[in-house]
Amino acid sequence: MTFWDKAQNVDRRVIYTLLIAILAYILIKPIGLPILITKETKAAYDNLDKVPAGSIVWFSADYGATSIPELLPAQIATMRHAFKKNLRVVAGGMWNEAGNLADMVWQEVKKDFPDKKYGIDFVNVGYKPGGAVLLERMVNDAHQALLGVDFYGTNFAELPLMSEFKTFRDVKLIFEFTAGTPGEQDYMKMVTDPLRIPFSAACTAVSTPGIKPFVQSGQMQGLLMGMAGAAEYELLVGKPGTAIVSMDAQSAAHLLIILFILLGNVGYVITRKRPSARV
Amino acid sequence: MFVEGSAIQIWISALLTLAILSVVYKDNPFYRFAEHVFVGCSMGYNVVVSWYSYGQPAITKSIMKEGKWLYIIPILLGMLVYTRYFKPIAWLSRYSIAFSIGYGSAYVLTRDTRSLILLPIVGTFKPLLVSGDIWQTFSNWVLVLGVVCTLVYFFFTTGRKGALGVGANIGKWVMMVALGSAFGNTVMARVSLFVGRLQFLLGKWLHVIKA
Repeated sequence: MTFWDKAQNVDRRVIYTLLIAILAYILIKPIGLPILITKETKAAYDNLDKVPAGSIVWFSADYGATSIPELLPAQIATMRHAFKKNLRVVAGGMWNEAGNLADMVWQEVKKDFPDKKYGIDFVNVGYKPGGAVLLERMVNDAHQALLGVDFYGTNFAELPLMSEFKTFRDVKLIFEFTAGTPGEQDYMKMVTDPLRIPFSAACTAVSTPGIKPFVQSGQMQGLLMGMAGAAEYELLVGKPGTAIVSMDAQSAAHLLIILFILLGNVGYVITRKRPSARV
Repeated sequence: MFVEGSAIQIWISALLTLAILSVVYKDNPFYRFAEHVFVGCSMGYNVVVSWYSYGQPAITKSIMKEGKWLYIIPILLGMLVYTRYFKPIAWLSRYSIAFSIGYGSAYVLTRDTRSLILLPIVGTFKPLLVSGDIWQTFSNWVLVLGVVCTLVYFFFTTGRKGALGVGANIGKWVMMVALGSAFGNTVMARVSLFVGRLQFLLGKWLHVIKA
């Protein structure tokens, strides 16, 4: 068996071991590779940046713990941006971990914004089921749709911000963090297309090819694509977080995978030309 | 990642992570244990969060305090689903399913067409000559030709000969590029998740890097 034969049948355990070793090494000793800002991320940044100060924006955490490495840094970076711009944020989501995720983001971001107060600058309405039906009800009466209580069980009547957020019509921008269904399509169908509310999203890398056409059609103004999108946003906001730190490791892993793909394919082409391969 | 946890929580989390990752070597009892714990915890979490997020406020606040008695109808309709466990009255569950299907279909018909079909199609109507911007002109041509040729690939009424054959062939290549892009994004997503776990293991657990 030649080298090229072996290159086509590398044991997966070898690949995983190399991957773990390289990722661990790069995480311990980062290289500091440059991060280029894509136009989709810049558009999402500009979309939030141009919302007038004092306006209300809706952040929807439609993902679970499994997508935290990709989407939580994006949610933290966008929330930082919103607070920098003196926007008020109402967060919730249609996935059952939405309340906890929004709480994690609030706990992290408020360290840098000690003047921001819960109930005045931020409200976490938590997880509310119903998908598209919930969103349609929120277009007409958000308080009724959300049953009038936040993630911590506080009545909306005790939260001053909620007196100004009666329906989606009071929102100047929707930013969705999506890992699947219910997700961005429900927002476009029920809220942002009919009401023409500016809409940006952060998605997992795996769902990027399915979502990007909506940016091109103008239904979505900006898009953060996976961890790379989150890293770009962290860079734009000027506060490096876990996404930026991870990008070196991500690039190194991609190089390793490309190397194995090339080895396998070159090996295939070379061994195919051998007379014995034609038998 | 940002969850503050006690040492015991971090150790449980780290050991379960290692147990799950051990499947890349081969299937083993540690992996199966961690998998079952995950499924059980997810279900438990789902039930509790759903109850406190919607069930309890709907009953104690909306119905009992605010007198929205009509809410009882959807609750009863939902409970009918569980009649499936009792054979003599199992047929009652069909009412709630029929209601969901009817309601869902109407939603799909009225909303999907515009947002998921018409507007994305309109998005492909691009000017094929953008003055002073050769790159944009090229991009628009790629987009328009890509869409048309991919549609031609799925045109099965006549044989793929002449222009139709060429178009279908280009369409096939466009789809291959799209699938390659999808594969690349999938790899990126999986690596991201793995990097997240490694950050936790090296940071919060082993304190080798800054958590």
